[in-house]
Amino acid sequence: MSFFRFDTNLPRDRGHNSGAPGFSQAADPFAGLSGRDNDDDDALDFEDTYDGLGDQLDETDDAFNDDTFGGGEAVAAKKPVGMDFDFFGQTAKVSDAISEEQARFSRQPPPAKVAPSTSMFTQPSAKPARTGYERYKEPEYMPEMQVDANLWGVAPKRSTPVVAQPLESPSTPGLASGGRKMMSLEEVEAAMRAQAKKPAPAQAPVPQQAPAPSHPQHPQQYSQAPPQQYQPYPQQPRNPDYPVQGSGPPRDDARSVPVPQPVQILQRNQQQPSPSQAAPPQPTQILQNPNRYSAEQQNRAPAVQHPGHQSRPSGSRHIITHPQQLANLTEEERAAFLMEDAKRAKRNHKIFLLSKDNGLMTPQDKNFITRIQLQQLVTATGNPNEHGTDAGLSEDFYYQVHNQIRGGPRQHPGQPLSNFAQTYLFQTGGRHGGMRRQARGGDNHMQRMEQQVQRAVEAAKNKPKNKQLVIEGSLGKISFSNAKTPKPLLNIKRPESGTDGHRPGSSARDRRPPGVNGSDRKTVLRDIENVYNTLMKMEDHARHMPPPITDDINPELVGLHMDWQEKAKSLNEQLWQQLKIHEPIGGPSTHPFIAFLSYSKGKKAIPRVFRHITQEQRTTILTMIVVHLDQLDVVRQAILLPGENQVNAAVREQVELFSLAVMPPLFGFLNEAELNIVAAVLGVICSRVNVDVIARTRIGVSMLTMILSRAELIKQGGDIAEQEWEHWVGQYNTLFDLLEPTLPNIFPGTVHTGEDVYVWQFLAAIGIGASPEQQQRLVMAVKDRVMETVALSKTLPAEMSSQRLANVNLFMRSIGLDVDLLVA
Amino acid sequence: MADVDDGTSAPAEPMDLVRLCLDEIVFVKLRGDRELKGRLHAYDGHCNLVLGDVEETIYVVEEDEDEEEVIRTIHKKSEMLFVRGDSVVLISPQGGS
Repeated sequence: MSFFRFDTNLPRDRGHNSGAPGFSQAADPFAGLSGRDNDDDDALDFEDTYDGLGDQLDETDDAFNDDTFGGGEAVAAKKPVGMDFDFFGQTAKVSDAISEEQARFSRQPPPAKVAPSTSMFTQPSAKPARTGYERYKEPEYMPEMQVDANLWGVAPKRSTPVVAQPLESPSTPGLASGGRKMMSLEEVEAAMRAQAKKPAPAQAPVPQQAPAPSHPQHPQQYSQAPPQQYQPYPQQPRNPDYPVQGSGPPRDDARSVPVPQPVQILQRNQQQPSPSQAAPPQPTQILQNPNRYSAEQQNRAPAVQHPGHQSRPSGSRHIITHPQQLANLTEEERAAFLMEDAKRAKRNHKIFLLSKDNGLMTPQDKNFITRIQLQQLVTATGNPNEHGTDAGLSEDFYYQVHNQIRGGPRQHPGQPLSNFAQTYLFQTGGRHGGMRRQARGGDNHMQRMEQQVQRAVEAAKNKPKNKQLVIEGSLGKISFSNAKTPKPLLNIKRPESGTDGHRPGSSARDRRPPGVNGSDRKTVLRDIENVYNTLMKMEDHARHMPPPITDDINPELVGLHMDWQEKAKSLNEQLWQQLKIHEPIGGPSTHPFIAFLSYSKGKKAIPRVFRHITQEQRTTILTMIVVHLDQLDVVRQAILLPGENQVNAAVREQVELFSLAVMPPLFGFLNEAELNIVAAVLGVICSRVNVDVIARTRIGVSMLTMILSRAELIKQGGDIAEQEWEHWVGQYNTLFDLLEPTLPNIFPGTVHTGEDVYVWQFLAAIGIGASPEQQQRLVMAVKDRVMETVALSKTLPAEMSSQRLANVNLFMRSIGLDVDLLVA
Repeated sequence: MADVDDGTSAPAEPMDLVRLCLDEIVFVKLRGDRELKGRLHAYDGHCNLVLGDVEETIYVVEEDEDEEEVIRTIHKKSEMLFVRGDSVVLISPQGGS
């Protein structure tokens, strides 16, 4: 694309267009020229090329300024001048390079056999033979492509300087793009690399085209020149014959002093005094230069000259662009070269694509982003330290249970979180190291990251417990709410426990007078909640039991166990105290523990309590319950008054719950108890409890059954101390005596209610252990009920009948009888 | 001993009082002239409640033929009820007694 968006394809360029589409294929452009190497002299005769138009130019006024700057319509194909004209902003950046290029051109040794006048002017188009590539034939010509790095930043500008001279030489518009198509930046880059790699074969000098002075009279011709350079008559003829490349300095001096030379065309020869050379770029040169991209940019360079740069085209540069060189190659070599070149270009292009965003962020930027990310991670997952405490854990019960069930890799809920960042870093670090074998670089990187993480974690730990955090640079606020600490709706400061009981409001109301057992509703409820709190802590604690100690003694593990046991012990003591088992017995009001059991949630707590207490404590609880057996709500309220067939639903529910919740643990404990304990329990019942009351309730009867059957089992198991057995028998006899008056009344309701299974079980338990004389008394006491049941069973359907009879038979068999005898 | 126990058991937050009602029959007054009585199974800080064996009473003001306002009550029973907290006006532990 030309500066003015002309059609830049000229007839004369066709060979290049087809053969040399891009820089990356540097050899191609010359394919069509290879045969002309020796004809250059003829083609480049100045007199032939110069049409004298320059003489007609009026350079004294600015009549064509409009053409140049877009003011008029006379300029063919002129489009609105866009931002491309931003000389100061963009073009000026490359002005250095432009002048550099210019200097280099002027310094190139002229070909010996070429007349100084063989330069291209603005009219080269008049001679299609002139291709603009002649300079490639110079032995030392080096396409000056390695311009300042900042050039690439303004790469899109590279096409802007191309000059067209529509008015003056209509045939030249195509010059803007020369013989080449537009090349992408990648291609340019690729070509540069390719050239850098190839040695520069020495080539015979080729007629050097002096940068031809353009027609100064046409301002638009210089429209692309940096403004500071702009002159209506900028033409300083290059010195094509200037012998030594290194003779820059004088040139520079000369250049820096632009001398107005209205008509330079005729003067462009090596005799031209240096001072007279002006710095401005020379469009024609640009047009003729196959490497115009760089050349253009360099040409646009301001007057400032960097002499040192002029030597940049080093001898080591590849000069394969020379057609002759290519021509000298064999067919295979050339093909190979082209192939290689294409490959290189492709690879370079890829590299370019990959690296196009390189350097957008500085290392500091990256560190900053990483820090923010890690901070968010750490805060989002919560403070790892909190997870170690039971306080934190007890608030996250369901998560823990779920985790326990799943049995995930995390042994300890807090553990992986604290290692989260490190794990993450190790993974990335490992990958890094694996990909590139640069352990050093990877390690450093990893270490740096690790340190950052540690710092971030540290910072998060030290951070006051804001509920919200706004990290600089993050988008929005970071809320700390997570599963463990949901966003609090009611943010009431919880005072330190132990110090808050003396609030004025609550102290008078809630505090019990000393010595009075708390049995009022709220106190009991509070006790229950405390017990549950402790229970949850204990259950959590049980989950955190360290792995069992193995054979090899691990001091750390042993230490963990000791800590764990110590904690368990303190929790156990706490629970024990909250159960209030040791409140003095026999106070005026209900014992706190019994009051505790009067609530269904208190009952439900017992199985859980039993799991966490010692055998001794279980014995104590059993004793407590037995001692207060007649005070239990499930006993007190379950006594049927005369005429009542059933207790009310609420009590029945409580009885049911007690049977399901409290009895099994007691039963389980008793089943492992020794006879002396069983005898002691029975003794407690006989001495402290109203047997008459308990015998008329289901719970009481069940308790007695439990005790009696356990004793019977122990007896059948044998191996009992004689003394213990005698003690037991004594207790049994006492019980029997106490029980006998009640026996007729122990059946709930009438025979029709049919809920007397447990009674028959109890009678069976008594009958088994009874002496013949006691059995006699037993039969006498319950004989009526037995007969009633048998009679009733005859009226019942067979299924229910056999059920009833089976119940009765439980008792009958225990005393050596069978209900069949009665039925028959 | 009783003092120590008091220290650890005294409720520090209003919700601790609600906690005491867990598994108890509670009386809940709701917006829209509704009342609930049921066993409190669960609650949270928003006063969202889960109640069991709930008896719901709705008071409706109607006009009879004489254009006199008559308060009619509707009773409903639910086995289990989730009550959204924003409608709860009060929770009373006296429901059971």
